[in-house]
Amino acid sequence: MNSTPTDAAAPAYNRSRQAREAETLLDRIEDDFPDNPQAMRYFYDLFRNVYCHGEPVRHQGTLVGTTCIHAPEELIYAFGATPVRLCNGSYHYDQIGADFMPAKSCPLVKATLGSLHAKAAVPNTQSLELIVNPTTCDQKTKASAMMEAMGYKVHDLELPPAKESEEARLYWQRSVRSFALRLRELTGRKLTRNNLKAAMARTARAQAAFRTLHQLRKSAPALFLGKDAFLVTNAYFFDDIDRWTEAVEQLNAELRSRQTEGFQAAQKRAPRILFTGSPPIFPNLKLPLLIEEAGGVVVADETCSANRMLYDMTAVDEWLLNDMVDGLADRYLKPCTCPIFTRNDDRQRRLLQLAADFNVDGVVYQAFAGCQVYEMEYRSIADVLAAQGIPMLYVETDYSPDDMGQLSTRIEAFLESLKTRKRNKQ
Amino acid sequence: MSYFAGIDIGSTAIKAAVVDEDGKLVGTRIAPTGSSFHKNAMETFEALLAQHGIVREAVKFITATGYGRKLFKEADDSISEITANAIGACEAGRAFGGVRTIINIGGQDSKAIQIDANGNVSNFAMNDKCAAGTGRFLDVAARNLEIDLEQLGDYHFGGSGAPLTINSTCAVFAESEIIGLLAKGHGKEEIVAGIHYSIARRTVRLAKRVGIEDRVYFDGGPALNKGLVAALQDELGRELVIPEQPQTTTAYGAAVLARSQYLDE
Amino acid sequence: MKRIRDAINGVDLRRFRFWLQLFFFVLLVYGGYLAVNLGQYLPTFSCGFNDAGRGGICYLLPLQHQLAMSWRTLFGWAGLMVVQGFLFFALWFFVLNKGWCGYVCPLGTIQDWITSLRTRLGIRYSRYTEGQFRRLTLIKYLLLALMILIPLGIGGALLPHDMGTPFCDICPGRMIIPMFTGDFSQLTIDFSTKTTTVMTALGLLVTGLFLGGAFFKKRFFCFFCPMSALHYLLSKPALLRLKKDGAKCTRCGDCYRVCDMEIREIADEVKDPRIMQDDCIMCLKCVATCPEPGALKATFAGITLFESTEQGFIKRMNQGHNDEQHPH
Repeated sequence: MNSTPTDAAAPAYNRSRQAREAETLLDRIEDDFPDNPQAMRYFYDLFRNVYCHGEPVRHQGTLVGTTCIHAPEELIYAFGATPVRLCNGSYHYDQIGADFMPAKSCPLVKATLGSLHAKAAVPNTQSLELIVNPTTCDQKTKASAMMEAMGYKVHDLELPPAKESEEARLYWQRSVRSFALRLRELTGRKLTRNNLKAAMARTARAQAAFRTLHQLRKSAPALFLGKDAFLVTNAYFFDDIDRWTEAVEQLNAELRSRQTEGFQAAQKRAPRILFTGSPPIFPNLKLPLLIEEAGGVVVADETCSANRMLYDMTAVDEWLLNDMVDGLADRYLKPCTCPIFTRNDDRQRRLLQLAADFNVDGVVYQAFAGCQVYEMEYRSIADVLAAQGIPMLYVETDYSPDDMGQLSTRIEAFLESLKTRKRNKQ
Repeated sequence: MSYFAGIDIGSTAIKAAVVDEDGKLVGTRIAPTGSSFHKNAMETFEALLAQHGIVREAVKFITATGYGRKLFKEADDSISEITANAIGACEAGRAFGGVRTIINIGGQDSKAIQIDANGNVSNFAMNDKCAAGTGRFLDVAARNLEIDLEQLGDYHFGGSGAPLTINSTCAVFAESEIIGLLAKGHGKEEIVAGIHYSIARRTVRLAKRVGIEDRVYFDGGPALNKGLVAALQDELGRELVIPEQPQTTTAYGAAVLARSQYLDE
Repeated sequence: MKRIRDAINGVDLRRFRFWLQLFFFVLLVYGGYLAVNLGQYLPTFSCGFNDAGRGGICYLLPLQHQLAMSWRTLFGWAGLMVVQGFLFFALWFFVLNKGWCGYVCPLGTIQDWITSLRTRLGIRYSRYTEGQFRRLTLIKYLLLALMILIPLGIGGALLPHDMGTPFCDICPGRMIIPMFTGDFSQLTIDFSTKTTTVMTALGLLVTGLFLGGAFFKKRFFCFFCPMSALHYLLSKPALLRLKKDGAKCTRCGDCYRVCDMEIREIADEVKDPRIMQDDCIMCLKCVATCPEPGALKATFAGITLFESTEQGFIKRMNQGHNDEQHPH
């Protein structure tokens, strides 16, 4: 495939439906809010280039697709390959996926498979040589065979359904090792202490930058809006990691100077929202955007397209290959708060801690229609939050734009009730 | 004398309400939303003013609510219909000794709202992007049965047999189910009662999600339907508080809010 | 103040521990040459058989001696002596808690050096399985019980007198520590009686196991140490404490990964703030490897000495990414 956007024969990419979907959203993100940070320019441009102009994803060596945060990216980097996260947020691809998937399946899985099925999909990952598919929820598990049927090479990264027991931990460590073997087969390279160390250092630097950004969002009044934060973490799916880290470091520097200037990105009384549940993935940033358009501000999140993907860091005791690989395995299993796990008290505790640390006024819980595990965990989370007096809005939605009116009513009502609560408290 | 107005632009009807300086309700007006809701909203509002001999300048603050709230630029502010409904029900409910739970069935959605003693929303739930259990569902059913919407209440009590069970909650599927029942020779009365119970069960489930407390206030157009009210009371196991004009509670709430917003500034 | 705190929390614990351990090693193994004498009630393996260099004596030696006195003496006036000894021991212990193990114990330090040798050779460590761990962890209590019961049996003339100090007989410290001052005399089998032959042969075997085990397993011997068991019985009121704020814990398991003693509770327990377990050696590696601010901390008399911080974690792991050499 050598068609470029300027190719006269091919239809202009930016006039395709998926490009327009992305463009509409980017316009909203950029134009509907004043005072976007200067450093966000990089991300706005990046998304326009990749999503609206179909610019291919930058990579070195083999391109390895991942369908979940459980695939250890450091291993992929260590083999000289580049990971790209395939989880897709486009309604357009959701519709394509609906052609061959059950109507009630999760839009994320539908859109991901839809984009893999589509021609000239964005992000443009035309040269995928392997897809690593962690066996997480049922729908992703079943996706392996479907992706294979489309002609992709797929590695099933076997993830245990529980994470508490030592058996699960060891099982997962073995899974990660066999993934390393698969990568070795694929790339013809060897995993060495030095290349893994270098790969881990890259990820660690990216995570440190993310953590700084995360901490800056504790600031009240807010320095930075959640819609931008989600854009930044979504860029991590496909952007060159070093370039991404530098851009985030620049953003952090700008936010720090905003902090000293006493800048406010939202009103002083704007309700501070903690976002949890099914992940907002570009261009489906519908819910965070609605929240912020209605005058709230998303200050923290507990989702696999942002916090859960980047927050937890790897610890190593002895910098030998075995300890590094086991350390990576642990980092991708133990702290994870995904509801696919049998027991998930960790998610409850994480939410309470985030709510306290970020001085949160309310929680918005997004559940994709068809994402059973999030739907099922709703009750337990609601109870725990209610016990602590933290209001929560549960929103069941999907990628289609047709519930926007209804959603905006609910979100506004929720924010209004939070404001009243806040006023009454004072 | 200064006045304050609330305009509720819903999916089927536009409701306007005006209160005076003391927050006392002066009057309300209802008109169909139609295709050009902005024009209709303006006309409804102006007709209401004319009806009570109020000049436009005397209206110091307008708060818009309902689906069209954002697009009604003549308003000074807008508020979600959930908050407006809560305020309106809290005020109107005082005459009944105060209410804490509100059930609202509108043209395209149904809501359950829990409020505290001051009328602040403490919890709410709404149907998910589907017309099941909403006013639209009644519309569709009435059309299939070839009876007027206003007659549904009479039909409800007219049957001799037990209400039929309508299994489909989806408005589209219910349509064919109703046609099937008619074909089998069931009476319209039993079918209507069945429809009411179907909506009532769905609504009670929604209300249970927010928790049912104290007196339950029922508003929205369908609250005029005596049959639905009876079914709802039956399913709920308690009496409902129903205002004289159940359609305008939300507009009234917006007007009350308009007044306090004006006074705060 | 904040600057100082940040500096402490960002400390390179590996290096800090290395130097502190070296200091205590010199103090307890060579201190005698400098006339250091910390008495005979030390709650750590400052071996009394290291006649020339010892800077103090491990309490287990006098304890076994005392308990082996005839019952009449023991349950008479001499009982007071035992109580007094125990009080001195407890007082020493209260200061550092199990920090005696992670920072002071010469035998512990030797194991850490062996570990360091292994990592330099690029050889991986081994770990126990969970089942092994659960069983092995009980051995130290058994040894503690035997260490008390056997001398009592001797005092009551139920056991032969030449069992003397049974734990010292099999303790690898008796053979290894004196070697650091050039005394290899302990490294033999004492054939004087049948009992001494068996006990010292057992000692030689344990020493062999110690050296071999410590090479593959971090802090191999500490799992079996009766001193550690005795410590744990007294650890509640000690001044130095390890605390965990479960609410801040993400259960990422980083602390458990680096724990030489494979203590799972450090990662999994989120309710009890007093997290120290019986196997703990208070090396504080868990605190240094915790990325969650304030989730783990070491306090002394209620004052926080060292606590987990995000910056500290990042700094220390960065050193790992970049350093080719370990400091020791």
